[in-house]
Amino acid sequence: MFSRRHFLAGTTALGGASLLPSIAHAKGSVAAAIYPGTWEEAFRAIVAPALKKKDSVDLELQPLFAVDQVAKAKAARGAPPFDAFVLDPGPRITAIQDGLFDKIDIKKISNASKLPAGLVDEWGIGVNAQVVGIAYNPKKVPAPKGWKDLFTDPWVSRLGITGFQTTFGTVSLIEIAKVFGGSETNIEPALVELKKVLPKIAAVGQPAAMPGLFQQGQCDVIYTNTQTVATLKGRGVDIEFVKPETGAITFLTTLHIAKGAAEVENAYKYLDIVAGKEVQEALTKPPYNFIPVNKDVPLPDYLPMKNLDEMSNFVRHDWAKINPLRAGWIEKFNKEMAK
Amino acid sequence: MRKLAEWQLALPLALAFASIFLAPLLMLVGVSFFNDDKISQPGFGQWAKFLGDPFSYKVIADTMLLGLKTVCATIVIGYPLALIYLDASPRLQKVLIFIIVMPLLLSVVVRTFAWIVVLGREGVVNTILLQLGIISEPLRLLQTELGLVISLTQIEMPLMLLPLISVMSRLDPNLRDASSALGASRWRTLFKVIVPLSMPGLVAGCLLVFASSTTAFISQTVIGGVRLIYLPLLIWQQSLVVFNWPFAAVVSLTLLVSVLTVVSALSYLGRRTGGYVHG
Repeated sequence: MFSRRHFLAGTTALGGASLLPSIAHAKGSVAAAIYPGTWEEAFRAIVAPALKKKDSVDLELQPLFAVDQVAKAKAARGAPPFDAFVLDPGPRITAIQDGLFDKIDIKKISNASKLPAGLVDEWGIGVNAQVVGIAYNPKKVPAPKGWKDLFTDPWVSRLGITGFQTTFGTVSLIEIAKVFGGSETNIEPALVELKKVLPKIAAVGQPAAMPGLFQQGQCDVIYTNTQTVATLKGRGVDIEFVKPETGAITFLTTLHIAKGAAEVENAYKYLDIVAGKEVQEALTKPPYNFIPVNKDVPLPDYLPMKNLDEMSNFVRHDWAKINPLRAGWIEKFNKEMAK
Repeated sequence: MRKLAEWQLALPLALAFASIFLAPLLMLVGVSFFNDDKISQPGFGQWAKFLGDPFSYKVIADTMLLGLKTVCATIVIGYPLALIYLDASPRLQKVLIFIIVMPLLLSVVVRTFAWIVVLGREGVVNTILLQLGIISEPLRLLQTELGLVISLTQIEMPLMLLPLISVMSRLDPNLRDASSALGASRWRTLFKVIVPLSMPGLVAGCLLVFASSTTAFISQTVIGGVRLIYLPLLIWQQSLVVFNWPFAAVVSLTLLVSVLTVVSALSYLGRRTGGYVHG
C-alpha cells in the first residue's frame, strides 16, 4: 500500500539525498513536525543522532510553523502526516479543542519525572521554556525598568515593535495593555498608547525582521525572548535582556503525540529523548540557546532566573481566552498602525 | 493526421497548466465563497466583509500606487541606461548586461537585507550624509514608502531593462541617422523615433515591474515594515496567522484582479502605440 506516510518519506528523501540510505535501512522511524529555523537546525544536529544512537529510530523532521501543523493535521482527518507536534500555547489549545492529540501514557516517558510539575499533563510534555521581556542596546540607551518606560524618552524614539502575529508579540502587547489599565482580554489601552507615540517609534516590523533591524541600529529597544538575545549576543551585537518590573513573561513549548499517529511507540521514544538530560544540555549551548526544563540541567547564567522554580512567579497567559480574540486584534493593529 | 499530432504535442503542457494553475485557481475562487474559517458554510460573507470595509480600498489603492511609483522610477533610471547601452561598444555592452543581470542572480532575501544595511539609521546613506555634514540627524529611509520604492527600483530594474534592451537593440540605426540628416535635434529624434519604436519593450518592462513590485511580499514587509500595509501582507496574515482561508482567498483574488486590470490597460496601451508606429 502506498500511504501518505510513504509518500512523505519519499519526498523528504528526495529533498535531501543524504537521508536516503538511513531511511532505507531504518529499524523504525518517527515523523515529527518542527519549527523551521533554529529549532529545525538544533533538532537535526542534536536530537536526531541521539535518538538513532539510543533507540535506533530515525527521526524524520517536517519543518512546519505551529499553525501549519494544526492545519495539516486537521485537513488529514485522522491520518496525520506526522507523529508528533511541537507547539506554542495558542495553537496547543486549538489542537486540544479540535481533538488532534492522543492522550499520553506518562509511564512510557521515563524522563518526565525530571520535569517540574506543570510541564506534564495528559496531552503532552513541555520541553522548552521561553522567557519574554525587553531587550535594549546598552551602548545607546539606559536599561528600561518596565513596559511603561518604553513609551517615554529616551526609549520611545528607539523602540521597535511587532504585532500580534507571534506568541511573544501577543503576550508583550498584553503586558503593555495591563500596565495602562487593560487586561488579558482587553488590549485596547496598549493600542491607544502606541498610537499616541507612533510618529516617534523607530520601527514597526515583521517579527522575523526585528533581530536584523536591531543589529543594524534601526531600533535599540525591542520586546523579545532570551533566545534571540543570546543568539544576537553570540554574533557580537550589543544587547542586554531586562526582566520588566511587572515580571518576565513565560510560556512553554510542548510536544504532543498526534491522534492516529502511525509510529506511536517511536513517538514516545522521541518525546523521552527530547526531555532527557543529554539532549536538553546540548540544546542549551550556543548557537541554539534553548532554555532547558530538565531539573538536572543547570540554567545558563544570562537568564533572569537561577532555577526553574523561580519561573512559577513569571507572568503566564490563558490562551483559551486569547485565541478567539486574536484575529480581531491583528485586524485592529493593522488599521491603527497603518500609515 | 499531421495536424492532430501537433495538437497532441501541446497536450502535456496544457494538462500541466490545467492541473497546477487552473485547478488551484478555481479552488481559490471556491474557497472565497465560504463564510467561516472552517470552510463549511457557503456564502458571500467574506466578500461582504472585505468590500464593505473602507480600509480594504485604501490597501488596494496603496498597493497599486506602489506598483505605479516603482514603474515610474524604473523608467526614469532604466531608459537612459538602455540608451547608453545602445551607443556602447560591444565590449562595454557585455559589461553592462552583466551588471544589469547580476541582481537577478541573488536571492531576493539577500537583496532585501542588503537594502536594510544601505538605508538603515546607521546605514551607508545616512553615514555618508552625516559625515559630509549635509544632515545633522539620520534620515528616516527604512520603513517609509520612499525607501521601499528606492529598493524596489533596484530589485525590479532587470525586469525593465531586459525587454527594453532587446527591443531597442533591434532598432535600425539608419532611422536615427535619417532623422538627424533631416534636421531633427537629438531630443526630437529621441521622442519622435526612438521612444515610439521602443514602446513594445517599454510596455513589456512596465508590465513585469508592476506585477512583480505589487506582489513583492518580502521587500514590502522587511523594508516597508508593517505600517505600510499592502495586499500581500494581508494575505499572509489571514492565511498563515489568523488562519481564515476564505478571507485570504478574497484578498488574493482582489490582488489578482487589480494587477490584471492594470496589466491589461498597459498592454492595451502598448498595442495602440505599436499600431501607431507600424501602421
